[in-house]
Amino acid sequence: MLAGALGAMDLVVLSPEFDGSFRLLSESADWFRALTKEELKAGSHIRLEEVSDYLDNFLVDARAFWARDRIGRLRSGPWVESAVRGSAWPFEAQALVRNGVAFLVIEHLSEAYEQQVKLLQVARNHLLNEEVLEREVLKRTAATRQREEEIAIRLLAAASMRDAETGSHVRRIGLFSAAIGAALGWQPSRSADIKIAAPMHDIGKIGIPDGILLKPGRLTDDEYRTMQQHTVIGARMLGGTDIPLLNMGCEIALCHHEKWDGSGYPNGLRGEDIPIAARIVAIVDVFDAMVHRRVYKAPIPELEVLETMAEAAGSHFDPRLFEVFRSILPAIREICGTVED
Amino acid sequence: MIQMKLCMVGSFAVGKSSLVKRYVQSIFTDNYHTTVGVKVDKKDVVVGSETVRMMIWDLAGEDAFSRLQTTFLRGSAGYLLVADGTRAHTLDVALELQRQIEAALGQLPFVLVLNKDDLAPQWEVDRGRITALERDGVKVFRSSAKNGHSVESIFEHFASLDSLAHAS
Repeated sequence: MLAGALGAMDLVVLSPEFDGSFRLLSESADWFRALTKEELKAGSHIRLEEVSDYLDNFLVDARAFWARDRIGRLRSGPWVESAVRGSAWPFEAQALVRNGVAFLVIEHLSEAYEQQVKLLQVARNHLLNEEVLEREVLKRTAATRQREEEIAIRLLAAASMRDAETGSHVRRIGLFSAAIGAALGWQPSRSADIKIAAPMHDIGKIGIPDGILLKPGRLTDDEYRTMQQHTVIGARMLGGTDIPLLNMGCEIALCHHEKWDGSGYPNGLRGEDIPIAARIVAIVDVFDAMVHRRVYKAPIPELEVLETMAEAAGSHFDPRLFEVFRSILPAIREICGTVED
Repeated sequence: MIQMKLCMVGSFAVGKSSLVKRYVQSIFTDNYHTTVGVKVDKKDVVVGSETVRMMIWDLAGEDAFSRLQTTFLRGSAGYLLVADGTRAHTLDVALELQRQIEAALGQLPFVLVLNKDDLAPQWEVDRGRITALERDGVKVFRSSAKNGHSVESIFEHFASLDSLAHAS
């Protein structure tokens, strides 16, 4: 009766012998005869080496499991033998210990395996569809971002018509800022934002009268106060949207003249109350202006610039960010070499 | 006859089973059929004067439902780390699996197979990344199970006499 029940379950039961062979406890099955290439009856002894490469591998773990002599079972996981009479047959083996006796059960999985395959197929098709959708979202996000960048670049181009700053200066400001963002471990999208937003720091100068903006000599106190308004004008130009790139541009435009010790303008913000993007731009704007030639001054050697700026770290500049800037000087120099005036 | 065990390792749906099918049976089907557990195929090849029986273990693809069991690679002459060139993250999965295998079994010969070369215009895997891996000594193949490109060479790479030294 037991043999009949086992036969109905499409499995064979064996027990390991001391000489490494196995004794068949159940009746054999067609597939087991095909697998072993032997006509076996209950009670027959058989060696299982080279019957199946997968089974050989499992028996290494099974023997270790039996040697521990603990109640329990070790499953091989399903495997498919594809060379059995040209068919593909799914099996699973289990090593068991019951009442101190070790057993090896080999089961032909047939329909159970097909069910597993179907379930996994559905799950994986779902994952593949998700991947396709995700890729499409990324593609569209990238297209939107490209359009936002294009608009920002057009804005910059309009501002540069009235500003004496060189195009290479504003490009370097963006690249330096992005390099600092990357060194701070920012997400690539945030670093990409600052690369475009930082060059817009002086965009508000578009609203400053020519008589002040282009005045060759020293500004009067009133003129200087008007000039300071470029921060507020720039913020007004860029603010009020839900576009992260322009929001960052707004913060930078408004706060890039604020100082770490609170002595800056327009709002006299102090320390970390100043948005980090603006603190970054404050550093790279000064550095780039000092090391490059301007109509009113010769370039200053980098070492001298860094010494001067180091003295201002903690008063003008965020000291921690200045250290980060110093730590990436090789990358900063590389950018200077790539984007020359 | 010399017997050589090779394992196919990689993320799901990268074409591991298709590569085996192409190599063993010269067949390709476009539909994706998932592998549950392990599928073992055999192919006899003649290398010099020797016949080598290649035992190819096609391991279920790595994902949330299925994790690599490094014990499957026990006794392998090497493994094929398969990624899908059109899905860049499958290369990350492949390289992570390589790290897991090395941590569990030490250094085993392997090749990196970037499959689906027939879809080259849709590739996401960066050429620079491939060059960097090659510079680090990784043997990289671009293959297509669909048109058979490079498939024979990948398996022949292992069946070469050099690899047999590892297998013996």
